[in-house]
Amino acid sequence: MAHNPNEDLELRIDKFTFRFPTGLRFSEAGLWIRREGGLVRVGLSDFAQRRAGDIAFANLTPAGTVLGIGDEVASIETVKVNISLPSPVNGIVREVNSALQDTPELINQDPYGNGWIALVGSEDLEAPLNGLLDAEMCVALARRQAEAELNPS
Amino acid sequence: MNRKICIVPCSGIGKTYGSVAREGAFIVTEDLRPETTRIMALSRLVPDDSDVRVEIALAESITIDGCKLACAAKVVAETGGTVAHALQVLDVYRKHRDLKPAGIAELNEGGKRLAAVLAEEVAALVDNMEGKHDA
Repeated sequence: MAHNPNEDLELRIDKFTFRFPTGLRFSEAGLWIRREGGLVRVGLSDFAQRRAGDIAFANLTPAGTVLGIGDEVASIETVKVNISLPSPVNGIVREVNSALQDTPELINQDPYGNGWIALVGSEDLEAPLNGLLDAEMCVALARRQAEAELNPS
Repeated sequence: MNRKICIVPCSGIGKTYGSVAREGAFIVTEDLRPETTRIMALSRLVPDDSDVRVEIALAESITIDGCKLACAAKVVAETGGTVAHALQVLDVYRKHRDLKPAGIAELNEGGKRLAAVLAEEVAALVDNMEGKHDA
């Protein structure tokens, strides 16, 4: 299913606007997933990629890898930090976005489109999907995280 | 009239990649190509100063940005300058992953070496531009 920006929820903080498509589910670690038949496409949310900074390198877990929830589906090196991205779903990696090898900045430029990370196949998708956040819940979480960073106490 | 090529680095203070950009610019303008280049502080371009606008309009510029916001390239263009080449420190780092920069006021060894590599790239661009001018 193509991403329609008109259906995004937006969160404005300071000069930044973060987008959260309503058709996606999100993990608390900042990854999004989208059901595509028996597969789920996984990527990094707009809020998470902005928070991470410009991405220098993306290392993807190869196709064929069996993932449990929380296992590393990818790691990124940004101008600020190195981050391990935990899989939000169980399953087998069917395909990875090979374009990220040479152009990892796609995650920054188009996090819900060409910057996707992996396609994961799973026989039991319902259970983990139900444990994830919808766009509205993710906006609330992102607002809390941003406020905590802006006003540390 | 000074027609030296302007090297305009990122002015992001407190940013590692900005520090690499500035360090690289200094290496070019002070050590590698002092006869043909000069550094231009980005902050000089921000005020609406007609003298600076003339100055930047008369010379070609090479910008070195520390992040994808690309302030240096944008400001030079908006001030009426000609951006002959727009470099990003991150792109240079991607070609030299062993030179991971860290530190701000004092760059680590990787950052210093990355600045040197960046400076060599800029110097090669300068030579190419000068060659075209001479032809």
